[in-house]
Amino acid sequence: MPAYLVIGNGIAGINALEAIRSLDPRSPLTLIAEEDFPPYSRPLISLVLEGALPPERLPIRPPDFYRRLGVRALVGQRVVELDPKAARVRTDRGEQVAYDRLLIASGAHPRTVEAPGHQLAGIFCLRTQAQVQAMRAHLPGVKRAVVLGGGLVGFKAAYALLRQGIAVTMLIRSPHPLSQQVDPEAGALIRRELERHGLEVRVGVEVSAFLGSKAVEAVELSDGERLACQMVVVGKGVRPAVDFLPPEAVRTDSGILVDQHLQTSLEGVYAAGDVAQARDLVRGQPWVNAIWPVAAEQGMIAGANLAGRPVVYRGSLGRNVIRIFTLDLMTAGLVNPPRQDDYQVLTHRDPRRGTYRRLVLHRQRLVGMVLLGRVEQGGVLLALIQRGLPLEVDPQRLLEPTFNFASLLP
Amino acid sequence: MKKVIIHPERCVGCLQCMLACAVAHSASRNLVGALQEEPRPRPRIHVGVTPSGRGFPNRCRHCDPAPCMAACLPGAIFRDPTTATVLIDPDRCIACASCAMACPFGVLRFHPTFQAPPGKEVAVKCDNCDQRQAQGLPPACVEACLTRALTFEEPDQALKRQTDRISRLVLEAVPYAEDLPASLSLLRALKQATAEMNRR
Repeated sequence: MPAYLVIGNGIAGINALEAIRSLDPRSPLTLIAEEDFPPYSRPLISLVLEGALPPERLPIRPPDFYRRLGVRALVGQRVVELDPKAARVRTDRGEQVAYDRLLIASGAHPRTVEAPGHQLAGIFCLRTQAQVQAMRAHLPGVKRAVVLGGGLVGFKAAYALLRQGIAVTMLIRSPHPLSQQVDPEAGALIRRELERHGLEVRVGVEVSAFLGSKAVEAVELSDGERLACQMVVVGKGVRPAVDFLPPEAVRTDSGILVDQHLQTSLEGVYAAGDVAQARDLVRGQPWVNAIWPVAAEQGMIAGANLAGRPVVYRGSLGRNVIRIFTLDLMTAGLVNPPRQDDYQVLTHRDPRRGTYRRLVLHRQRLVGMVLLGRVEQGGVLLALIQRGLPLEVDPQRLLEPTFNFASLLP
Repeated sequence: MKKVIIHPERCVGCLQCMLACAVAHSASRNLVGALQEEPRPRPRIHVGVTPSGRGFPNRCRHCDPAPCMAACLPGAIFRDPTTATVLIDPDRCIACASCAMACPFGVLRFHPTFQAPPGKEVAVKCDNCDQRQAQGLPPACVEACLTRALTFEEPDQALKRQTDRISRLVLEAVPYAEDLPASLSLLRALKQATAEMNRR
């Protein structure tokens, strides 16, 4: 009977626990996780910030989940050391756990901004439900918030605050938010929609200091200007949570590198979710796609492999669906291809329907898409990207507003 | 267990299934009442047109495993253990469209329904007419389909029928090789004779 150990109770860890148990009902299974809240849906925390969802709706598993599954759950503990030779980990509470097979699903930590005053109250990251609870507690009296970064987290934070009538200033490097997810044309439309609802975008400035006595009262920008604000949200991306790994113990790049079974360079040690770097379906090279659906699928597959049933992971694909006031956005794969000559880009704008579509093809295969408005059929296009098969239909058909599954048939 | 089976070659694109589906998912469950309801009942089966101009009734396949279920952020999508139907809880749904991103068939729609909390937009798709089935009725789309492009039957039987049909087509299209061994020709003749006798 192998002893399993899973680090992390995000969706990758949770799905892995279930996959392991479905294949191996009896072997000892241990979980170590920092968050002691019941397993919850991380993408929903911005809805809690927005006030659109009560915090008690976050959990996606019953309170007795671990017990029911026969998992020894060491929650509220952090792994501080992994000893691959001894096949053992140590937690910050001094607990030692040995394993035969290990899954690292420790996720990622938000990048912080080390400007002077960064320890002031009212400066937040948006990663855990605990952080959101703290933000909610701080909200009364907040009239203006500053959001650093226009990536997914910065965007979600800004959106949640705007929805509550709080004025938001967003500091970004590119001229529009979500620059990793969309092309400039869609980005401009998104920016306009947000500005219509009170967002102020500042491009090319950084925070040089946070000012205030106890809580943040203003930020000082790199151009010398001061912006009064009562809250700051840092959305500068995430870095894989690998602090407990001894240097050189396992092959890493921007995450822990894994093979097609999600196994790391260490035999019997697997990685899944935001910490893992698997092959990207459209880039054809290892890539960290730190998004929930990827973590979910990797968790399931890693769990099966851990339990001895070999399952191949074909690769990950960056994808997002976001509702921005009255504008819906779905995006996937390569939207800003590196060299235009190899790639074919098709766009279609329908002002009457208020839609915009951009498709990126590479040698007759669909590799990227941006859909603004009418996103219901996006899953059909996404499946085409994931399958990676040459298109048998005229790609122009995929741009049509009436596109649906039948359009792909003879 | 019986399932809805689609025979696209028989679809004439009359859209009667869509109409029947919308009515079946209305509060009044009849056409006259449904037309006056707010929110307006909408179909959960969608007839698309193929490039060659043929109709294709597109409905939820109730996949197993279901990608929409795995992708659902609030855990609103679940499988009814008794019927294997994939269902959406309108109270838990947040209409985030994660299911639409995961569905390779494009069967999800987002709109208010009479079953959802008032004014709330929710993800909507085929529920196999579970309420009609509980009363012993076939799904509404099947009942409405006059060309039998939609049938409600045991999947094994439908599969066998199709296999037999394809075998027949192949046998008719490919003439017997003349250099067959005598033993095989004899066996075939015997089987043919047996089949002939059984028919009488």
